[in-house]
Amino acid sequence: MDLVARCAVEGFFAGLHPSPFHGFSVEYSDHREYHAGDELKFVDWKVFGRSDKLYIKQFQQETNTTAYILLDSSKSMSFAGDGVVSKMDYGSYLAAALSYLMLSQSDSTALILFAERVIKHIPPRSRRTHLNIILTALQYNRPEGQTNLAGVLHTFAETTKRRGIVILISDLLDDEADIFQGLAHLKFLKHDVIVFHTMDHQELNLDYEGLIQFEDLETKARMRAFPQSLREGYRKRVSEFLDNIEKTTGNSGIDYCLLDTSEPLDRALVAYLAKRKRMM
Amino acid sequence: MSFTEWIFLLGGLAVVGPVIAHLLAKPRFRRLPFTMLRFLRTGQVESRSRRNLRDLLILLLRCAIVVLIAMLFARPLLHIRLKPSESRSVHCLGLDNSMSMAYSDGSGSYFDKLKDSAVDYIRSTEDDALFNICTLASGDWMQGLSKGQALAEVKALKVEPGGANVADFLSGLKRIGSVEHSGDKISVLVLSDFTPNTLRQFINVAKPVSVNKIDYEPIVSSEPVNNAAIAGARVVGLADGKLTINAAVVNYGQVLQNRLLTARTEENRSAPIDINLSAGQQKVYQVQLDVGAAGRQPSVLPIELSLSDGDGLKPDDTFYLAVSIPGHEDLNVLFAGDNENQMFLLKTATNTLSRTNSYDVLRIKQVPMSELAVSDLDWADVVVCSGIKDRLGDLASDIESFIKDGGRFVCFVTEMVPAGAAKQLWQRDILAALPGKFIQERAYIQPKPYDSTASGVDHIAARSLSNYKIDRILLKGYFKCEPHPDARLLWQLQNGFGLVYLKRFGGGTSILVNTSVDDSLGSLTKSNASVAFCRYLLGESRQVEEYCFTRDQRIVLPISGKDQFFAGKEQIWIETCDGRNRRAVVADSSLLIPDPAGIGWVKTLGKPTIYAGINLPQGETDMTKPVAAELTGVMSRVFTAGAESDVSEAGVIRDKKNRPLWKIFAWALILLLLVEPAVANRLKR
Repeated sequence: MDLVARCAVEGFFAGLHPSPFHGFSVEYSDHREYHAGDELKFVDWKVFGRSDKLYIKQFQQETNTTAYILLDSSKSMSFAGDGVVSKMDYGSYLAAALSYLMLSQSDSTALILFAERVIKHIPPRSRRTHLNIILTALQYNRPEGQTNLAGVLHTFAETTKRRGIVILISDLLDDEADIFQGLAHLKFLKHDVIVFHTMDHQELNLDYEGLIQFEDLETKARMRAFPQSLREGYRKRVSEFLDNIEKTTGNSGIDYCLLDTSEPLDRALVAYLAKRKRMM
Repeated sequence: MSFTEWIFLLGGLAVVGPVIAHLLAKPRFRRLPFTMLRFLRTGQVESRSRRNLRDLLILLLRCAIVVLIAMLFARPLLHIRLKPSESRSVHCLGLDNSMSMAYSDGSGSYFDKLKDSAVDYIRSTEDDALFNICTLASGDWMQGLSKGQALAEVKALKVEPGGANVADFLSGLKRIGSVEHSGDKISVLVLSDFTPNTLRQFINVAKPVSVNKIDYEPIVSSEPVNNAAIAGARVVGLADGKLTINAAVVNYGQVLQNRLLTARTEENRSAPIDINLSAGQQKVYQVQLDVGAAGRQPSVLPIELSLSDGDGLKPDDTFYLAVSIPGHEDLNVLFAGDNENQMFLLKTATNTLSRTNSYDVLRIKQVPMSELAVSDLDWADVVVCSGIKDRLGDLASDIESFIKDGGRFVCFVTEMVPAGAAKQLWQRDILAALPGKFIQERAYIQPKPYDSTASGVDHIAARSLSNYKIDRILLKGYFKCEPHPDARLLWQLQNGFGLVYLKRFGGGTSILVNTSVDDSLGSLTKSNASVAFCRYLLGESRQVEEYCFTRDQRIVLPISGKDQFFAGKEQIWIETCDGRNRRAVVADSSLLIPDPAGIGWVKTLGKPTIYAGINLPQGETDMTKPVAAELTGVMSRVFTAGAESDVSEAGVIRDKKNRPLWKIFAWALILLLLVEPAVANRLKR
């Protein structure tokens, strides 16, 4: 897992970068007009002396951001259409790579594994040795149970006080309205949210042939069908589902990135770095 | 709907196959864990009921294919009840194109008049009428013709050398009336000269034919008929190079005939003989024809007998007679016996034979068996041995050469057969049968030969043997013989054992007679039949034969086994009467000629040339005019109008039309076979 994370991140790691959050610390950043309620100790009296106007001094916070990686570990994530890389494996590699990337920048990184509820919660740390803890957790993580994404997001939002980047890695196979409510909750709490929607190639295209009895990984429901006859409608409905998610997340200021497990991780990392850049 | 071959409907039981396969078949699918079932559910789902429906549809489709195949083989017919206005007019024309129709008087030939009448009849019919035309000489039908086509066919008709065949015409009419055009209005027109031959065939019709309308017209001349014909000819004898032929000449007309009769070959011509015949008179005239050198060599001579010009029909003025001339040949017969007395009876019979005309010179020599030498074999054409003796075993190789070179070896048996000599002869394939155990019991000979087609024996002599009441000749004993695989049993005893065996060996013949040459084992050679039996054994008939056939006969020509031209051949080329080359089949000692295609000569191509004369059937050109009242009576009996007769068929289907459905079924089957894979594939989606 460590090796996969390193290989994926090499080439994307561009060194330390400034924190996107403005605070009141040591290094001067900017001035702004005084508003009622601002602490008087930050008033720049020298400027007041020269211009007779009240300005507040702003300083750039030296501490890095906190990233919360939420990895869906429900049974549906174990699906591997072509039998090589399951969505769970792909999500784990992505989580590992992002953790490696962020811890390399001294960002505090947390990992939350969830299905119907939170299975494992590794709190945010910025130590380099924290990566081993995350990788171990990812390595021994097994997909199990049904998805309850909305519930988990609400729980996470209520229990996490510090703002940060919330990276959600999931197949989003839950009620769409509930998912959007959960994401909106996070956004309301000023989190920056990135959604990595992991989908298998077969889930996107349904390229099977012949009579097949489909068995739902989570609900165990069965259905017998000739996929070639359903393919067109299926693709249309999946496309509508994805468009709806992308549109809704876009409207909410949430970054959305659809990942096909048959493609390399690069796209996900590019998306993450682009997000960080916009946040600066 | 009914089925012509309903038994094939049982084939429909084969639907059990698909049904059982349907019941036993289990759906084949693979299981696949999946996540996005909610996106599939809204689509077309393969539910159990839907699957059952799909399988049922495919089963029905396949069962329909099986049933259709069975029904197709059963030849379905659809009975359509017709309204009177829906029935069509079908005209069936029986046109006599037999040779008698070639008769011509001053106003043209009968056949031209027939064609004119037929054309007038066709033109007088309605435009949408259908025509079926039958030519009586060949019995061929031209069916489903339009008016224009019928006119063209009639104009193209020609006289054929042969007699009218009424049976084919009437059977075709019955088929048309009952199957192909039942319910249609059928009119029949018969145009013929109604010669006695033709009229006799109409009179002999047992079951009348039901039609809606019958017309007939006798095509006859208003003038007295002027026609004489050579009705037949046969060879009486051949002596001093002159062939004597009896020719039967008939005056078939009503005019006195003063004609000349001549016979001619390619090289010679006989003196003309005056023919004077009053109306209806028949006389036999004798013609002497000098055949010259041709009479000294074995050959087949084509002889044309002809009457001088002077009547209205030429083809029957010539008679084609092929004569097989045996030629001159000496025959040396050697008798080898234990003593002179033993061979006395057969030698006497042969002496008697030498005095007949069958052989020009027949020399006889007798030697004691113990003194039989190779030089004797070299001299002889036929060797007759009184029994299988040790001396024959010593000379086995010489006897083998003798037979292979074309000799004839006849061996009788005595009560004692030396095993060593018999074995030596048997191993060299000389003996036609190997005598085994001697059975001393009384036995009688069959009255007729067991095999009358084998080459190498005189079948005329065989027939005359039957006249001598040979079945009353008692034998005192006989051997149980093992026949050679190539041998043929010619004559049998009444208890089933063989009497005479024959085997062809090289160019010669070996014969084993299962009795003694004297009267020790029976009185065959002592009986009145001994001369005929001797002639039977000595070889093929050497009499003059005639190869003369009528047009309607099957032509089978005898061929000599000695003739190397036919050896090993199954087919040879012949020239038929129309001058075209065709193949004839060589079967054993016969040549089977296919259709001679006319009258005249049929001849083999190659040497020796065998001719066969093909003539008109006797009485075909008898131009006696039919009596009107008799003709009316005959025709009204043969053709019955409406449903008054022919109850067996007319009563059932008179107002119905049988429409064959096989085409519809065949198309439906093809369609189903094409659709089945597509439907099955579509339903599986």
